[in-house]
Amino acid sequence: MEGDGSTTDASQLGMPGEYMAGSHYVLQSQEDDCDESLHDHEEGNGSKENFREQDIYLPIANVARIMKNAVPQTGKIAKDAKECVQECVSEFISFITSEPLKLYLQKFREAMKGEKGIGGISVTEGLGEELTDDSFANQLPAGIITADGQQQNVMVYTTSYQQIPGVQQIQFS
Amino acid sequence: SSGKVNHASNSKGISLPMTRVKLIMKSSPDVSSINQEALLLTTKATELFVQHLALSSFNNGSGKDQTLLYSDLANTVEEKETFQFLTDILPKKILVRDYLKLLEENPIEEADN
Repeated sequence: MEGDGSTTDASQLGMPGEYMAGSHYVLQSQEDDCDESLHDHEEGNGSKENFREQDIYLPIANVARIMKNAVPQTGKIAKDAKECVQECVSEFISFITSEPLKLYLQKFREAMKGEKGIGGISVTEGLGEELTDDSFANQLPAGIITADGQQQNVMVYTTSYQQIPGVQQIQFS
Repeated sequence: SSGKVNHASNSKGISLPMTRVKLIMKSSPDVSSINQEALLLTTKATELFVQHLALSSFNNGSGKDQTLLYSDLANTVEEKETFQFLTDILPKKILVRDYLKLLEENPIEEADN
């Protein structure tokens, strides 16, 4: 590849998320169908080293099959559409993993502030010592700030977690 | 029967590999451990998400060929509020020559190429 910026080969531009300055476009190769898959779209990434968060995808075969079953029988799916949805899936998983947690922590902290006679810190100091993996499983809120100020976050969504007075259950669609 | 896992739904009606879903979940900065039910729920939700995105985009499509194209996805994501979180990773595609034409008409401050 030459050193000038005028390549039309999308596969050399890296991830489709790259933008030209000031706009929201990604360059597309002259043929619609990129035979060269962007790295990590295909299987074979068995090694877990050096994975950036956005490089971890679900297998494209599984994703493609779900898509195929969702559209009418006569429908077809372009290859770059499959790859794109594969990336969207990882984004979706990250999104639903992190967003409710953030909201919940926010509400939890607000609720704790209001508790009579209990400072936020002292509540958690006591809890901190008794916590085990089992106790996280069903009863405790998603985020605890321990006495040393370190935030320990544990993902807890169970179908029935213990209600904490003053904290609303998060609804998400 | 490990070979079969990828080719059919399991008894819970899930056809996505949960170990891989878990890996993606764990890559979120504040997450340490993951409750098994949460993992199941997330995996199922992901499946439904794929169906929803694919079908919405397909129905939103240009109508030719009965083919779901990248551009259908990009358009749907831009138009529908539920998919807004995807707009950053689904930019619309443009051919270089069209982009250069656009630049000529609307010159912008260009950073270092």
